[in-house]
Amino acid sequence: MDYFEPKTVGEAVSLLAKYGAEAKIIAGGTDMLVDMKYKEEPGCLINIKKIPGLSSIQENGGSLRIGALTTIRDVETNALVRDKLTVLWESSHQFASLQIRNTATIGGNICRASPSGETLAPLLVLEAKGKYVSADGEKTEPFSSLFQGPGKTSLGSKGLLTAIDVPYPAAGSKSVYLKHAVRGAMDIAMVGVAVLVTPDATKNNIQDVRIGLGAVAPTPIRATKTEALLRGIPLSTALIKEAAAMAATESSPIDDQRSSAENRRWIVDALIRRGLTQTWKAATGKEVA
Amino acid sequence: MAKAEYTVLGTSPARMGGVERVIGAGIYGIDFALKDELHGGILRSQYAHARIISIDTSEAKKIPGVHAVVTAADAPDVRYGRTSIDRYMLAKNKVRYMGDPVAAVAADSPAIVKQALKKIKVVYEPLPVVIDQEEAMKLDAPTLHEDMPLPKNLPADVKVKNVCSFTAVHVGDPDKAMAEADIVVDEVYETKMIHPQYLEPRIAAARVEPDGRITVWANAQAPFAVRTDVARLIGVALNKVRIISTELGGGFGGKASGITSGAAIEPICALLAVKAKRPVMIVLDKAEETISTTIRSGAKMYINTGVKKDGTIVARQGKVVYDAGAYSGFGAMAGARCTNMLGGWYLMPNCHIDGYVVYTNKQVCGPVRGPGGPQAAFAVESHMDSIAAKLGMDPIEFRLKNTPKPGDKIVGVPKLRDVSLGETIKTAAEKIGWGKVKLEKNQGIGIATGSWIESAGPGGGAVVKVNEDGSVTVHIGKIDMGTAPRFGIPLIAAEELGVPVSDVTVVNVDTDASPWDAGTVGSRAIIVSGTATRLAAIDARNQIFKMAASQLEASPDDLEIKDKQIRVRGTPSKSVPLATIATAAHNIIGEVIGRGYCDNVAMMAEEKARGSSQPFTAHACIVEVSPDTGNVKILKYVAVHDIGFPIHLASVEGQIEGATAMSIGQALCEQVVFDNNGRTMNPSFVDYLMPTINMMPRIETTLVHGYPGAGPYGAKGAGEIACVPPMAAIANAICNATGVRITKLPLSPENVLRGLKEAGKA
Amino acid sequence: MSLTINTTINGKSVSASAEPSTSLLDFLRDTLEFKGTKLCCNTGECGACSIIYNGKPINSCVTLAADANGAEITTIEGVADGDKLHPVQQAFIDTGAVQCGYCTPGYIISVKALLDRTTKPTAEDIEEAVSGNICRCTGYTKIVDAIQLAADRMAGRV
Repeated sequence: MDYFEPKTVGEAVSLLAKYGAEAKIIAGGTDMLVDMKYKEEPGCLINIKKIPGLSSIQENGGSLRIGALTTIRDVETNALVRDKLTVLWESSHQFASLQIRNTATIGGNICRASPSGETLAPLLVLEAKGKYVSADGEKTEPFSSLFQGPGKTSLGSKGLLTAIDVPYPAAGSKSVYLKHAVRGAMDIAMVGVAVLVTPDATKNNIQDVRIGLGAVAPTPIRATKTEALLRGIPLSTALIKEAAAMAATESSPIDDQRSSAENRRWIVDALIRRGLTQTWKAATGKEVA
Repeated sequence: MAKAEYTVLGTSPARMGGVERVIGAGIYGIDFALKDELHGGILRSQYAHARIISIDTSEAKKIPGVHAVVTAADAPDVRYGRTSIDRYMLAKNKVRYMGDPVAAVAADSPAIVKQALKKIKVVYEPLPVVIDQEEAMKLDAPTLHEDMPLPKNLPADVKVKNVCSFTAVHVGDPDKAMAEADIVVDEVYETKMIHPQYLEPRIAAARVEPDGRITVWANAQAPFAVRTDVARLIGVALNKVRIISTELGGGFGGKASGITSGAAIEPICALLAVKAKRPVMIVLDKAEETISTTIRSGAKMYINTGVKKDGTIVARQGKVVYDAGAYSGFGAMAGARCTNMLGGWYLMPNCHIDGYVVYTNKQVCGPVRGPGGPQAAFAVESHMDSIAAKLGMDPIEFRLKNTPKPGDKIVGVPKLRDVSLGETIKTAAEKIGWGKVKLEKNQGIGIATGSWIESAGPGGGAVVKVNEDGSVTVHIGKIDMGTAPRFGIPLIAAEELGVPVSDVTVVNVDTDASPWDAGTVGSRAIIVSGTATRLAAIDARNQIFKMAASQLEASPDDLEIKDKQIRVRGTPSKSVPLATIATAAHNIIGEVIGRGYCDNVAMMAEEKARGSSQPFTAHACIVEVSPDTGNVKILKYVAVHDIGFPIHLASVEGQIEGATAMSIGQALCEQVVFDNNGRTMNPSFVDYLMPTINMMPRIETTLVHGYPGAGPYGAKGAGEIACVPPMAAIANAICNATGVRITKLPLSPENVLRGLKEAGKA
Repeated sequence: MSLTINTTINGKSVSASAEPSTSLLDFLRDTLEFKGTKLCCNTGECGACSIIYNGKPINSCVTLAADANGAEITTIEGVADGDKLHPVQQAFIDTGAVQCGYCTPGYIISVKALLDRTTKPTAEDIEEAVSGNICRCTGYTKIVDAIQLAADRMAGRV
């Protein structure tokens, strides 16, 4: 196995261009090391942690730029993330264990592109954009088109994610991340639900709602039909029930050793109800009628 | 505080061996290394059931750095097993589960081992696979063991297949009694396979010594059983094999039962060392353990009980179908225990239960912590609540109504001596707040009881040596994995010999030097090694008194030892240091060596004559169920136990808390999951879910006293019994919270939610 | 293709070589003979391999040995002060929280890291600190007692 520790983004990108699919990037290593031990070693391992400037969190107008090498723990302990991007904070707080959070990176979580990746449904809901560099230069990719399949992003084997831009949600918005697990944070999510709700000025109607679903499709997804159902009207118990059922139909879960598909749909329904109820109450102070 | 009559017994001094463990000393099997050692690895079957047509190791042998490649052809044609001798150490002719060892390699590095394993060419003829034990009993099921006969005691009219053992329980006339019952409740319960998942992987290291003897280091619970089987399986005389124990990072029965549990990694390692002519060490990977080493079996249990309107149980009928796995392993014994325990530990005047232990193409049953008991109790104690519900009776009142008294018999036990069951139930009820605590919506309260027979099984010995400085060295045949050998045993030696606990050393097991023992299994460490150590210490003390008597001008009967001083009782000024006498012994008897043993024959005779002194327990808990997701949270958990006399109090509590947690895991989150081909789908810790601290309630332990056991000072074993009640306690609390009875483990969110939905409650 | 790793372990400079694919756990145990950090699941799921890396507890089994370069590492061997046990170590012994002891080094590392942050840990703090450490022996009850006792002693409350 060839091994490199590039000192610049350019160096890393050249290596990726040269080795193509033979090359694997390693950031924190919490996924990569397991692959290397139990699947196979790549032809070329590129350790990007020596590249400076990729692990800061900075406000950038109305958004937060988070470097790809920022650890999940640094995301979790950042006041701006906690205050402005609650759903992302909550997912980083329910991410594996403290030991893992201290080395796992947000870029690693994104590029691993597991359908159940903890930060992914939240970032979809926050309409984050990925900034990446390839031999063709620097590009920006909205998260809505970033995930192509389990383990696949539009970066392909040649792009290096350097940062994500996460716009602050509209004023008055509230969000939540609900993770369905047997034990808690330590588990891989059986279902992950991210909900962001923005009430209108009267606080009677839903001005905007965004719903992200994890672990119930080949990629994390937005429940766009459900969102369309909800936008612009008052939230009611009946509407929540309908929305929850619709979100369950928008998901296409599989049976696996963690859960049956049927159970995943039940959980989507349950967590959408909880998520809408909680965010609406947080945003408006009102219980749903 | 020690009981008034004892100096140290009943207290909780620091664990012997505690300092090494908190500083990270390299004391475990996995920390071990031999000079010049090769790495060993095992090739395991790719099929759950197949004939082996051929094995070609020639390519593997050619790889530089490979020193030996072995298959069944390199070993004697000898099989092993506990009840049925049905298993080769390396598969011959057939493989019967994915995980069955087929070949092994010794090479310079783990990477070369991995390479070589890939180059071994095995040609298989796949055979149909059977995963479910009831399916395996059917006459059209695939045959797993062509040459293993059906059990001789199988009734003539029973036409089955793949049954390796059969137990029948018959008491009274259940058919008649059932017909006369006022209410009959008929249910089916099911538990799944779990793995003991000790944290330290299994190892073996083997070296052929200059004199031709073979030394094997193993982190095994039963070193003497390992010695017997290594000698037999590689074809050398017993006294040519020496097993040296390392410290163990957990075992729970999964590192016990000789080589059955480790699927023979010790003899495989020894064979490699012989062929390679160099020391070899094998270290299993945890995921490899899940698919290849012994497990707690799943059981399907049919239970049918008749009661009178006033709550008196009149009869029980039942059937246990116990999953042995690919080989019989510990299956016969565990299945028999499960079958007997399905009869419960309450008064049972009429009973008929048939228990079948069945081969399937899966991992093999081992003596995992309370084998057969937790499964039976899940059925029995859930069922008790179902009956109480049908009677409209409080579950506690129903249990108390059928609780035996001293002298009564229960299924499998002709006579009970003391019965602490009633007191444990009442104490658990009080501690959990039964009938008092205010339960919120979606909360429920449940209770379950249990028992565990410990005073049956092989004995063992102890040797106590008093060194010239008055310190004491204890040799027993049981290893230390966090249980009695380094907690209670040193206290016994210290108590009887009047020395500080810190002056006692309990040595780890070396089959050349330690007294024979069945191993640290069966909740018997304190009973067997405790009895033996006490008698050995007394024997040593008697020798000391005999030598000191003339010097102190007293009769040996008038002497005592306190704080390392031998004194005349009542005249403390007449004393001589223990060290002085121990040194003087060199010229008189050589050394003060006390010998003791646990006479198991006598113990079992006493249990029979005086009645069984088995312990009882009651656990109770409060849970909260999320009706929309099925998640279950345990809010409060109490464990009430009768352990006779707790010799090391913190150790007894620790065993209760740990065993409870293990069964909470089985209740809520653990199971080995298979696909239809017999492949384990969750071998690693990613998806084999063990309980983490955030989901574990504080386990509040209470001991009840006054029921002495068969062990020294009235002790009873504490290692396993707390595994027995938790699954039913939690299931009963869930039923109390939701009205839904879940009869299949685990009580995972999905299974709970499905149960709620099927009952129209979600 | 060997790398040279220059790192500081328990205050001492160490230089040794490792293959690039070697995990930090294997580097510590097999190359440097620090046997205190334990091998269990090897996939970052159990915490037995926990070490302090630049002040933070991490799982060494899913970290590259190469990442030890330039880092300050504390293993269990560096927790005691010579012969004097650290309060966390002593508390684990005193409460009976050590049964087989295999999870103990990982726990001590995680708990030390916690109590270095705060000696008044809340239940949530404790849960956060050690949810990634699995114990199969104790059922956790006496481990919680040990953490409380260590915190109280370190804060001078007992």
